[in-house]
Amino acid sequence: MPEKSVNSLGGFLLVMVVVGYACLLLIGPIIALINEAFSESIGQIIHSIIQADALEALSLTVVISFFTVIIDGVLGLLVAWVLVRHKFWGRDFFNSLVDIPFVISPVIVGYVMIVLFGRLGWFKFIPIAFTPYAMLLVTVFVTLPFVIREVMPVLASLSNEQEEAAYTLGASRWYSFRRVIFPALRPALMYGLVLSLARSLGEFGAAAVAGGAIQGATENATIYIFRSLHDRNDIGAYSMALLLGIISIVILLLMNILKAKESKGN
Amino acid sequence: MKRLSILVVLVLGLIGTTSQAQDEIKLTLAAYTTPREAYAEIIPLFQSYWLEQTGQKVTFEESYLGSGAQARAVEGGFEADIVALSLERDVTRLVKAGLITHDWQAKPSRGFVSTSLVVFVVRPENPKGVTDWEDLTAEGVELLTPDPATSGGAQWNVIAAYGAAKRGYVEGYEASDAGAYDLLVDLLSNVAVFDPGARESVITFANGIGDVLLTYENEYYAGIAAGDEYDIVYPRSTVLIENPVAVVDTYADAHGVREAADAFVEFLYTPEAQAIFISKGYRPPVYLSEEATAESTPEAEATEVPTTALWPEGAFDTAVFPLIDDIFTVQYFGGWSKIGEDFFSETGIYSQAIAQTQE
Amino acid sequence: MQLATPLKKSATIKATPQVDYAAWGLRATALTYLSIMILLPLYVVFTSGLREGIEFFWNAVTQAQAIFALKLTLTTAAIMTLINMLMGTLTAYVIVRYRFWGKVILDAMIDLPFAIPTLVTGLMLVLLYGPQTTLGAFFKDTWDIRIIFSPIGIVLALLFLGFPFVTRSVQPIFEQMDVHQPEASYTLGASSWYTFRRVIFPYIRPAMLTGGLLGFARALGEFGAIVLVAGNIPLKTQTAAVYIYGQVEGGNLPAASAVSVILVSISLLVTLLVEWLQRRNSHA
Repeated sequence: MPEKSVNSLGGFLLVMVVVGYACLLLIGPIIALINEAFSESIGQIIHSIIQADALEALSLTVVISFFTVIIDGVLGLLVAWVLVRHKFWGRDFFNSLVDIPFVISPVIVGYVMIVLFGRLGWFKFIPIAFTPYAMLLVTVFVTLPFVIREVMPVLASLSNEQEEAAYTLGASRWYSFRRVIFPALRPALMYGLVLSLARSLGEFGAAAVAGGAIQGATENATIYIFRSLHDRNDIGAYSMALLLGIISIVILLLMNILKAKESKGN
Repeated sequence: MKRLSILVVLVLGLIGTTSQAQDEIKLTLAAYTTPREAYAEIIPLFQSYWLEQTGQKVTFEESYLGSGAQARAVEGGFEADIVALSLERDVTRLVKAGLITHDWQAKPSRGFVSTSLVVFVVRPENPKGVTDWEDLTAEGVELLTPDPATSGGAQWNVIAAYGAAKRGYVEGYEASDAGAYDLLVDLLSNVAVFDPGARESVITFANGIGDVLLTYENEYYAGIAAGDEYDIVYPRSTVLIENPVAVVDTYADAHGVREAADAFVEFLYTPEAQAIFISKGYRPPVYLSEEATAESTPEAEATEVPTTALWPEGAFDTAVFPLIDDIFTVQYFGGWSKIGEDFFSETGIYSQAIAQTQE
Repeated sequence: MQLATPLKKSATIKATPQVDYAAWGLRATALTYLSIMILLPLYVVFTSGLREGIEFFWNAVTQAQAIFALKLTLTTAAIMTLINMLMGTLTAYVIVRYRFWGKVILDAMIDLPFAIPTLVTGLMLVLLYGPQTTLGAFFKDTWDIRIIFSPIGIVLALLFLGFPFVTRSVQPIFEQMDVHQPEASYTLGASSWYTFRRVIFPYIRPAMLTGGLLGFARALGEFGAIVLVAGNIPLKTQTAAVYIYGQVEGGNLPAASAVSVILVSISLLVTLLVEWLQRRNSHA
């Protein structure tokens, strides 16, 4: 549909309604947060963020997100590849499994983690319950579908011509993957990883249940916000929320840039 | 190469927390939601005490959750060396799970390191004119109390209300199980929000929700100390809250910190630590006789101790910690194991009352 | 917005004739991951829920609290989905069709709910509509409506979180739409409403549905935002996810599992429905 300028009353009303709705729904809350956080001075905000426990929580979130993105990249590509390129019995079934983490409540995810790895769990010989490793596991669980979902359509639509040409010229499969396929997948992969990153920065429910929310050990940035609200450290909570909000917006911009690049490539 | 070293540093960062030096140990404390301010001051005291005594440096990891939730976490694998919970029943759960193997109640204090009362916290100048339990059932009065599923404080609130009515201290309600049940139903109908823990409840109240907050007396003082503005109302009859602390044998032994853990629990009874508890609004432990703490049987009711005899004279300033008409203990209901069964099981009194508030 | 692509039967590459260890290894890894990470948790949820027998299961899910929580979850998610399908479609239309100042910002903003942590969302809503704010006090004093700690707050939070789903699903459809058909319809004398109903709507309906259903599924499991906004009042503002959390923390694991089974089953059904719809549309 071609673009046109707003030149009718109907059109004007429509635009106003939509913009108004979006502002109220999306911008309003953000302004409320900024307003509340800045009711103290910038100095105080910075001071709250550089407290030891705030920094610890933030670094835990960053470290877990970092490893999550790496694992998602590798595992996501792998699973997408197998689901698109391999034919085997039950493929459709496994394909449907991919989206499940996306729709399961984080509470259930955390609870399952405790059931599997807790003191009386099935895998109790792997003592990761109430440690950052459990948090990493749940974060990978909930973010992997993002990568797989972005990569699969692109992989499926790649024509075989270039690859087959590479084979006939004697290239190994790994070489062909690295030089022919991967570059084509990269925009989609990047976009999926960015979605993953955004999601892992904000992980709360599952990580809190699986990790135990132990100060100094398994408290990530969002859990820190939650605790600060109860420690009467409102400024601490708002400052961290603001920081996470700013990081989210930066990621949002990244997402939009990558999306533009991806659609240009198609 | 540079990227690789950053990676290595990050990996070490993730694993880093688990390594410990010889002359440095770590104690993990799992507590209920409210005593964070008290332990924030007690822990540094203990750290210097222990360093002096043994030359060993001890760091602490603390977790504060609703008492029930915390007990579950420890049961589920959270390796806490010491638990400081809201009620005895949550510690008993750990005994049953085999995590606590010593007799943690073999002390004069029976293992309870502090006490408190269930009180009403109201807005400044008490705008709804609340004086006792019956006023809480009035139309248009919004109550706050936590959710008994996760919060110890919530269970204390339920017991306090029920007991006060059954003992005849609530006007308009029969001094029997039926009357007490009616009071419970009426109270629950007025609840605005059920937070997961006592502390969360207080924060909700501070955020402007509710007219009356049912909570620990010590939470009132914590709020005042933090600058919140409230008034406090003492009912004529309420329950004595006793908060247990115990070393978790299995984990403390596994971590090799048993000595320090035991020492920490002992430290909580020293005058310095007790002074901190009092300054944070906690009452001192109550030392009861054997008869007073025996489980009541059909033949013999457990001996009750009059309010004035619960604490020794001069234990605290009665302007800060008033002695109200009637303070009863959980022995009135036969102890926590019976209470758990009768009140908070799926078919218990509380579950029935909650269901009824929706009819 | 799409789920994992419906698989084309022919999407395989010719493998070399002898036993392909590398391919086999890849496949084993991928399937092991899917089985352990996804099938296993599902298995855990279903077995702990049904372990005590059908009677116990039935009792657990017919508890007044549990039924209410499930009903509340479904109702708020449904209301959100309906509003969203309307506003999301309008938004997509406006972005594609019109040029106006700030359009690029609006377009970028739509993904905001995907980027912001759900807990921060809940916090922001409390800060905006809470009882101590101007807005919150206004609603309470004028109409005795409480936004935070009521189902209204829940719907607001879900609207925030679900906004991108329908918009991003319908947007590409509008972009690709041939504007000649509706214009032809107009020149033939049809009213705008008729044109919309008979020409445009059938065209966008599949995307509206898939986007709406995805948002619906997402809303079913939401926890982080609701935990701050709703107030956990049993039989008033307690959603299924928050109820399950309470049961887990309260040690009532079989009951938690039982309700989880219901919630997961509904989510799975919705997901399957969406996949079926997508499959149907890709053949159309």
